[in-house]
Amino acid sequence: MKAESAPTRERPKILPSNPGKIGESRPRADGVPKVRGEFEYSSDLRVDGMLWGATLRSPHPHANIWSIDTAEAEDMPGVYSVLTHEDVPGRKVYGMEVPDQPVLAWEHVRYEGEPIAVVAADHPETARRALEKIAVDYEILDPITDPAEALREDTPKLHLSGNVLKEVHIKHGDVEATADVVVSGEYEVGMQDQAFLGPESGMAVPDGRGGVDLFISTQWLHIDRDQIAESLDLPPEDVRLTLSGVGGAFGGREDLSMQIHSCMLALDAGRPVKMMYNREESFYGHVHRHPCKMEYEHGADREGNLVYVKARLVFDGGAYASSSNAVCLNAGTFACGPYDVPNARIDSYMLYTNNPPCGAMRGFGAVQVCFAHETQMDKLANKLGMNPVELRLKNAMKPGDKFPFGQTVPEPAPVAEILERVENMPMPEEEEIIGRDLRRLPGGVSNVTRGEGVKRGVGYAVGYKNIGFSAGFDDYSTASIALSVEDGEPIIYVHTAAAEVGQGGVTLQAQISRTELGVENVAVLPADTRIGSAGSTSASRQSYVTGGAVKMACEAVRGKVFERVREEFGDEFGGELSMEDGSVLAGNRRIVALAELLENGGIEETVVYRHKPTYPLDENGQGDAHFQFAFAAHRAVVEVDEELGLVRVVEIATAQDVGKIMNPQSLEGQIQGGVAQGLGLALLEEIQMKDGKVQNASFTDYLLPTILDMPPVRMEVLELADPDSPYGLKGVGEPPTISSTPAIVAALRDATGRELNRVPVKPEQLAGIEGEPIRRAPQPGSRGPVADDLGSEA
Amino acid sequence: MIPLKFDYEVAESAQHAVELLGQHGDEAKLLAGGHSLLPIMKLRLAAPTVLIDIGRLNDLNYVREDGDKLAIGAMTRHTDVEHSDLVKSECGILAYTAGLVGDPQVRHRGTIGGSLAHGDAASDLPGVFLALDAEFKITGSGGDRTIAAADFFEDYLMTALAPDEILTEVRVPKLNGAGWSYRKFNRRAQDWAVVGVGAILERSNGSISSARIGFTNMASVPVRASATEQALSGASVDSIAEAAESAADGTSPSSDIAASSEFRQHLARVLTKRALDEALSR
Repeated sequence: MKAESAPTRERPKILPSNPGKIGESRPRADGVPKVRGEFEYSSDLRVDGMLWGATLRSPHPHANIWSIDTAEAEDMPGVYSVLTHEDVPGRKVYGMEVPDQPVLAWEHVRYEGEPIAVVAADHPETARRALEKIAVDYEILDPITDPAEALREDTPKLHLSGNVLKEVHIKHGDVEATADVVVSGEYEVGMQDQAFLGPESGMAVPDGRGGVDLFISTQWLHIDRDQIAESLDLPPEDVRLTLSGVGGAFGGREDLSMQIHSCMLALDAGRPVKMMYNREESFYGHVHRHPCKMEYEHGADREGNLVYVKARLVFDGGAYASSSNAVCLNAGTFACGPYDVPNARIDSYMLYTNNPPCGAMRGFGAVQVCFAHETQMDKLANKLGMNPVELRLKNAMKPGDKFPFGQTVPEPAPVAEILERVENMPMPEEEEIIGRDLRRLPGGVSNVTRGEGVKRGVGYAVGYKNIGFSAGFDDYSTASIALSVEDGEPIIYVHTAAAEVGQGGVTLQAQISRTELGVENVAVLPADTRIGSAGSTSASRQSYVTGGAVKMACEAVRGKVFERVREEFGDEFGGELSMEDGSVLAGNRRIVALAELLENGGIEETVVYRHKPTYPLDENGQGDAHFQFAFAAHRAVVEVDEELGLVRVVEIATAQDVGKIMNPQSLEGQIQGGVAQGLGLALLEEIQMKDGKVQNASFTDYLLPTILDMPPVRMEVLELADPDSPYGLKGVGEPPTISSTPAIVAALRDATGRELNRVPVKPEQLAGIEGEPIRRAPQPGSRGPVADDLGSEA
Repeated sequence: MIPLKFDYEVAESAQHAVELLGQHGDEAKLLAGGHSLLPIMKLRLAAPTVLIDIGRLNDLNYVREDGDKLAIGAMTRHTDVEHSDLVKSECGILAYTAGLVGDPQVRHRGTIGGSLAHGDAASDLPGVFLALDAEFKITGSGGDRTIAAADFFEDYLMTALAPDEILTEVRVPKLNGAGWSYRKFNRRAQDWAVVGVGAILERSNGSISSARIGFTNMASVPVRASATEQALSGASVDSIAEAAESAADGTSPSSDIAASSEFRQHLARVLTKRALDEALSR
């Protein structure tokens, strides 16, 4: 099939009807179309003559493959292509950090759902039936599903490199330090899913000359392209990617899914091939948040000053590496929380198992440890008889302190301020149970309680995380700004490869361009690989890095505009040149309209923007690993039906430092969404595994919070400028997810007196049917019920 | 996902539906509101080759008084049961529970008959019909027959309906002032019940003359809380808490990803107590 059947490559203009500069609330360009069902997702891609791809996946988490027989599938009418590992033209493995994951499995499968063969057919049902005709001879092996088992010397090795995928050891101060007051605990975080609503989908179109165009929903076009080109054995320029409509990502689209598969099928069949996972397959088609078991010990003096933290973190990396190395490092560096900790010993381990590969998800290693360090801080407060917020304030890190990984805490680091803010926000009013709207009761509209057993609790947590890619990674973005005149009006074209995954990046790019160049009409071009990399839409980094690139490219264009003004009008203006309302001004005086100045040709500048460098950790886990840190604090108020274990989160209050508010509406959405994801981890969301198999690969059984589960979010936003970042902004996407989870669980402990050392918390635990008995009194300083019979800390 | 291909027939009457069922054998399925059948077809858990659409049998959409009973046509939508003044005044538990089925979309398309014939013990209605001692009218090639709710549900997704039979009407007793309650445990609105309890309490002279209690999702079929019912027969109203302690006796609910068997039994006890308390006060 020739390129004429390919989707149009003309550059549609986005956004001219959506004006606004930075700092102004602007609806997202994709918002209304999504609500109206008019937005084109990658799953909506179609072209005449296209084939449908489908993937044969292993039903076993661990097996040897003795043979794969595709003959019968190939003979089926309507089937155009059946491919296995033998057909991978280039590198047979892929991976962002470590290329250890087979494009299509040979000899071994290491997790349930691992791709073994792909098929292209003229109808999705034909493709699916062809998969059933492929005979795979497996020798089933016992799966290794417990990271602790994987760590043992005598456990069989899943990879030639062994089962330890990564270990990070941080030694800070005196690692043998002792203290008067010691608390310890073991904590566990279950496997959360990104649960984006748009399943993996894309379409590969062969160009007839050996190359391929791929239209795909992803987070990072260039890292996809490079991996595809390696496996197709093509030069990168013969693999061209264009971002298609993305239905959410949250980290789950950083790794490849069907990218190489669809390109292989399209090149083999000579026709466009569309692939689209269904919801169940999507659970097998992307990585998840790492489950983690954590052992902690905190030591403090009797006044509550932290003396040391010891932590041992064991992450389940699953079958392949994905971005586990970076998660392991991140978790290690943030394991103590945003506190001034003089001595620390952190051991962070990442293990290969036969569980699904785990990788990036919003919060990226900081989420797991925050649940543990915040629970420890509450325990310590309880033991000291201190208010938990007071303990945190006492130990809050400040600029100039040292992180446990040796870096100096930079300005601004408003840990104490955000804690004080959430503490000082008004509390939601207590409401009579009888006569209350059902939606504001535990159990909601199911109307299970008339007040029986309902108790209220309050909990606090604070967390932090790095922004952007760290530890020596060359993290950059590329932007091109073209300023020209169309129909007598100046217009800016913005081109980057930054993936809009729903975070609002397209709108932000337009706001920045409009702000810098004073031109109303802005068109943001589709992200594709015709321009250099923008890096990943992850790590809360695109506003900073691509925002910085767009700003820098605008500045370059502005410089050229001013040069041209000086060429034409001399340089005696009696005032600084500026651009506003489509004109060049000197002071308040209008020198020339851009429409006139650029009549005979526009200006285009392409730049690469880098933030300041970072450095890997040394053998003691020390180094200037990160370049920006973002902080948020949360207060949760919950009501628990103690007999049934049902929870209603009454309210979340949060304070977050964002450096500079770029788009208030977008920011509010990020904070609300992050809280929802944190609430999901606290109460509902877990991929349940049994013997290496996923038990709940559907949105019926994987419980995502709905609008009825989300409380009002009271928020205060600080704008403490980062002197190094564009406009002083900080990344905002992840912090809301990090400390909302422990705040909710702290509130549950306050209400029930139970320990709750694992998330998501199950109703069984709250009702006392499963897990530990009530052992502790509610936290001091809480507004929850104080019952005499709960006993006190042993 | 999209279901596999199927043929489609439109039934003009209940009798016609029975004839079509006879022609196509057990490869055929009746399509009523489609909110149980179509999802399982999309998941490939069912793959009927023929769907017989009974969605146009408007003469099976009714609520009527029939002496001391209410007669409800099988094609009556949940939302119509929920909002029927007659059902609300004479059999409040049914109107209330119909309003808890699924979400508004399901209630506007889904039918009472479809829900019962699907035979899912995790649905809210079967347990309530069991507690009501309802009767089901079934039309087949040999004419009509009536069967008690207690005999209708045979096993998981299996009912007493023969392949060429259609459920046409349900009859429930008027409650005549008996107290009632339905309590449903789910973790999110609109999810299936992890456990549900329907209770109907008749009182006389300050004591309980009878209690009828039906469970949702405590077995592969809807079941009654027999021990609690017996303990409450003729008992004082003060004995509810104690009687509810035996609510889960004799049950062996499944352990699955939603809840352990032990937790389901706990929920059954707590919800039974709460349902009885509410029924008593109503």
